[in-house]
Amino acid sequence: MIAVLGNLAILAALGAAISVVVVGMRSQKSGDTQALRIPVGVFALAALTVFIVLEVAILTHDYSIAYVANNSADATPFIFLLASGWAALEGSIVLWGVILALFTFLVWRRLDVVDPLGVLAVAVMGGVAVFWFGLMATAGNPFSVCTDVAGGLCSGSSWWPLAEIALPSDGRGPNPLLQNHILMAIHPPMLYIGYVGFTVPFAFAIAALLRGDVGKIWLERTHRWSMVAWAFLTFGILLGGWWSYEVLGWGGYWAWDPVENAALLPWLTATAFIHSAVVQRRRGMLQAWNFILVIATFALTILGTFLTRSGVIASVHAFTQSGVGPALLVFLALVVIGSLTLFAIKARDVAQAPRLDSLSSREGFILANNLLLTVFAFTVLFGTMYPLIIETLSGSEVAVGRPFFDRAAVPLALLLLLMVGAGAVAPWRVATREVMWRRLRAAMAAGFIAGAFAVLIGVRSIAVVIAIVLAVYVITAIVVRFATVVAARSEGVARAARTVVANDRGYWGGQLSHIGLALVAISLATTNGLAVRETVTIEQGSSAVVAGYCFTYIEPFSIAEPNRDVTGVRIAVMDEACSETKKILEPRVNVYAGGSQPIGTPSVWTGPIDDVYLGIAGGSAGVVDLNVFIFPFQWMLWVGGLIVVAGGVLAMFRKPGSTPRASETVTAPEARNGDV
Amino acid sequence: MSEHVRSIIAIALSAAALVVIVVGLAASNQPPVNAEERVAALSASIKCPFCNGESLAESGSGVAADYRQLIAERVAAGYTDDEIRQEFADNFGDSFILDTSTSSWALALWIIPMVAMAAGVAVVVSMRRAAKQSEEVTT
Repeated sequence: MIAVLGNLAILAALGAAISVVVVGMRSQKSGDTQALRIPVGVFALAALTVFIVLEVAILTHDYSIAYVANNSADATPFIFLLASGWAALEGSIVLWGVILALFTFLVWRRLDVVDPLGVLAVAVMGGVAVFWFGLMATAGNPFSVCTDVAGGLCSGSSWWPLAEIALPSDGRGPNPLLQNHILMAIHPPMLYIGYVGFTVPFAFAIAALLRGDVGKIWLERTHRWSMVAWAFLTFGILLGGWWSYEVLGWGGYWAWDPVENAALLPWLTATAFIHSAVVQRRRGMLQAWNFILVIATFALTILGTFLTRSGVIASVHAFTQSGVGPALLVFLALVVIGSLTLFAIKARDVAQAPRLDSLSSREGFILANNLLLTVFAFTVLFGTMYPLIIETLSGSEVAVGRPFFDRAAVPLALLLLLMVGAGAVAPWRVATREVMWRRLRAAMAAGFIAGAFAVLIGVRSIAVVIAIVLAVYVITAIVVRFATVVAARSEGVARAARTVVANDRGYWGGQLSHIGLALVAISLATTNGLAVRETVTIEQGSSAVVAGYCFTYIEPFSIAEPNRDVTGVRIAVMDEACSETKKILEPRVNVYAGGSQPIGTPSVWTGPIDDVYLGIAGGSAGVVDLNVFIFPFQWMLWVGGLIVVAGGVLAMFRKPGSTPRASETVTAPEARNGDV
Repeated sequence: MSEHVRSIIAIALSAAALVVIVVGLAASNQPPVNAEERVAALSASIKCPFCNGESLAESGSGVAADYRQLIAERVAAGYTDDEIRQEFADNFGDSFILDTSTSSWALALWIIPMVAMAAGVAVVVSMRRAAKQSEEVTT
């Protein structure tokens, strides 16, 4: 019954998406927004219905639906039942589709009454939706019914909703890793809002190309959408890293896993895009480049989905294999070939005389950062695909992993920081040596002093010292710039600061993000370069000392929960003399019903400087083998990441069409020297 | 404070700090890498067999723990990093070695991104050149 309802909703959404395309194409000449009212409304409602029907099936334990039977169970807690709606392949396609539908509706709501470009952009979004809902109706159907039962579990399914149903007595439950932490319920939707959000600038870009309307209007109109998508993508990646840190237990947050790379790739090109978009708005340059970047970002979100959902690259995230992979590949090829052909046809209109007055200028530094970001993206993409390429060409199997990515990313990231500091304070058009020196000298000194301080307190890793020097230089450059601009105003400091930010939220939002980025860089360096990792064996009642902390094994404990059995140990984290207890930590191991291997849950104490991270490595009665990790300034990664997101949110509220003012204010000493 | 004085202070402070950094880093002997760190680095550079793409360091599986234990034993017995990696390569194949710095096919992995970087730099420089030329034409 619910399978019929679900499939009808999918077909309704698919039909509505097709009508969005048809009506949109037909009314793009007149630009009549109201013509799309019914198609878009029906599409959004039907898509929402698909999602709700799937969630209802899961929450009511309707195991006649194969997806429900395979990804949830009676004992699954409520929040993870909810999350089961998008935790596996078919459900993630539903989530993608419903977010796309909501974006389409919101974009349509904000169109002008007569809006040829906007109407065509909505039609393009409808076209993208046709693919996703077509996928749902065929290879990725979430409402396939269970037709075979073995051992009480669903073992065979049919897409035909009226096929004879075999009802399993219980579901398999979610993948144990996915029901171990609340973040797993939040991280995928955040990431998907980011992914899907880039459909909006992509659709406007394609619509602009189709209409030959290649000026900056499409950029102006998609600024806020791009920032929303970027902020969510950033937040989603941050939550993913946090989840990995809190759940996986190896003490890290980033492993260059293909799925992580799949999220990083569009983030890198999107970051390049939001910067080069500013250059086009301000200076009229990089028109063509912006089309390329927005097409690349959209294509990379599809490529990422293909890489991770087709099982083509074995990865901890690539749970499933099905006909969805080939479909995604065909769609990807269509997007890339179609967009680039369209772009090539219209290239004559887009191309314009480059007007780069000087490499030393705001646009020059942004250009340099764009180059670094795209080379970064290319390197990550190439490294991720390399095993596939080699295997296809030579048949030999190779692996590209963390050592390569770490080594390639560090120099690129350090160069990026160097350019961020310079670009943040450089004026447009021409930044003379005198201006740059005046705006950066304090930052340079502060960076070197911070580096010297780090060396004096015992840091001996060159990479860590360089990262600290550059990060402090970036932060100081921005803070000094802000102070200079604020001081140049006559009103009181607090008021002036507010006015300065309010006048140019785009610029200062960006600088806030840069400060967050610098904090992230420091944390990346310290948690990798200064981490302590030891495994100690402790008997109950006795202690071990690692890196200035004393760990005392108090007692073991065990808890039986409906969906899992938890066993753990209570460990007191004490000062070096083992006299004063700072925190009790409870690392544990969970065995899930139906799960194959036990899943560890590390226990973390965030102190003022260090994170103390404990995981159970093994043990027997009265003895525990404890993984002890110490990560200095780990908290700075999460705080810095949130500041990056906050900067994006601030920049979202740039006044439409406003041109930066405050950042361009000529301060008194500079005016004297005659430069702007 | 005049511009001149500010500049001199910034240069002096930077220079002094730079001296501290260079002397500090050069004078200190790098602490000897301990066995745990070697085991951690090695397990991060070897793929876990039967673990769906994770390295030995990342995987929480029992298999991975066993292999980490094996690596620890080898390190304790005085094997070099390369010998330990070779043992895994012999048993499971080259594709289980994630550290690609030494093999010959890894060369292209490094060269092609560098070529991309060089091409990008060339494009940016040519943009500036073209702008310069158009300036000369118009003036």
